Amino acid sequence: MASKDEGAFWNIISYLIAGMGFWGAAGALLDNFLKTQIFVFIGIFLGLFLSIYLIWVRYVRSDPGNLGK
Amino acid sequence: MTGTLGIVGFGLSTIGPGIATGLIFAAYINGVARQPEARSILQPLAFLGFALAEALAILGLVLAFVLK
Amino acid sequence: MNLLEGAVRPGFRAPDAGDFVFPSIFGDSVLTTKPVVLVFFSVILISTFFIASSRKALVVPSKIQFAGEMVYGFVRNEIGKDVIGSEFQRFVPFLFTIFTFILTNNIFGIIPLIQFPTMSRIGFPVSITIFVYLTYHFVAIRKHGLFKYLKDMCFMPGLPKFMYVILAPLELATYFLIRPLTLAMRLFGNMFAGHLLLILFTLGGEYMLHDKLIMQLFSVFSFGFSLGFTFFEFFVQCLQAYIFTLLSALYIAGALADQH
Repeated sequence: MASKDEGAFWNIISYLIAGMGFWGAAGALLDNFLKTQIFVFIGIFLGLFLSIYLIWVRYVRSDPGNLGK
Repeated sequence: MTGTLGIVGFGLSTIGPGIATGLIFAAYINGVARQPEARSILQPLAFLGFALAEALAILGLVLAFVLK
Repeated sequence: MNLLEGAVRPGFRAPDAGDFVFPSIFGDSVLTTKPVVLVFFSVILISTFFIASSRKALVVPSKIQFAGEMVYGFVRNEIGKDVIGSEFQRFVPFLFTIFTFILTNNIFGIIPLIQFPTMSRIGFPVSITIFVYLTYHFVAIRKHGLFKYLKDMCFMPGLPKFMYVILAPLELATYFLIRPLTLAMRLFGNMFAGHLLLILFTLGGEYMLHDKLIMQLFSVFSFGFSLGFTFFEFFVQCLQAYIFTLLSALYIAGALADQH
């Protein structure tokens, strides 16, 4: 169904923003306490990989017509 | 005219993902149009490609706020 | 920081966010600025149109009844029935109100003499988003209960245990912060950018028209672009109203579904 696909696009973008935003913000908070500069970037990249993993679980792996099956 | 260069960087970083998303869905539509029964195989692949391409654009957005 | 200082010749005022702020028409009340007046006008317009189209409903519809039924049928079947499924009838009035309200207010952006999309002021998309946000959480909590709703949201089956610790905050952030944020920002951003683009090309063309002959020739292109973008804006405005309603329906459908 076309409209379900359209929802998936915006959900993917939401997950990406949430991943990088949340873990980036956590890293920035840690930087603020420890007076360092590195954790915000670690957080952003951790969030990037986590959100791509989450998208993979939601939309690629769980699909019954997947190639891997 | 005032502002930060980070926003210009975000604008530049959206060009690549924009082209990439266009190519991914052009290929997806092409594939589905030629072989409609392949849709369930192609759709997760298109979503994964879309997520990987779009990640770069969102990375630009986040770095525009982080880098001073 | 000053970007492009000296690149813009004195005399040309590039449009900025200040072009979206209007003085009050009567007195100092915030209720009589242009965007608020347009919102009230749109409510009157929508009510008049749909009352007129449904008052004398006939089996063989008149032209106005046909137009009203077409819009209603589109929201009911294409958005409500396709997306939400069996319980869609309850939500059709809500979706229909959102769709017609946003569509009318967006199209004000290209109607001559009005030419201001109300949704390019952030307050209006945010207030519509608050309604959608409350609705889909309320629907889900009433159907599943608060605890089960949060549990389904955070713990999707089939993952290793330690991943839940770092993935659950992500899901919570998506449902409670990012979804309403993107919903409001997408509508606001599209309307704001589109209106800014139209102002830029029109003002630029007008500025070049009062310059040397060679610039006057180029001003034709500027006006041409502004005319072309007007039609493009019409497309974007309809699309944004559709996407906003569609995503609201999808969020409600997700709240009603057993497993997210």
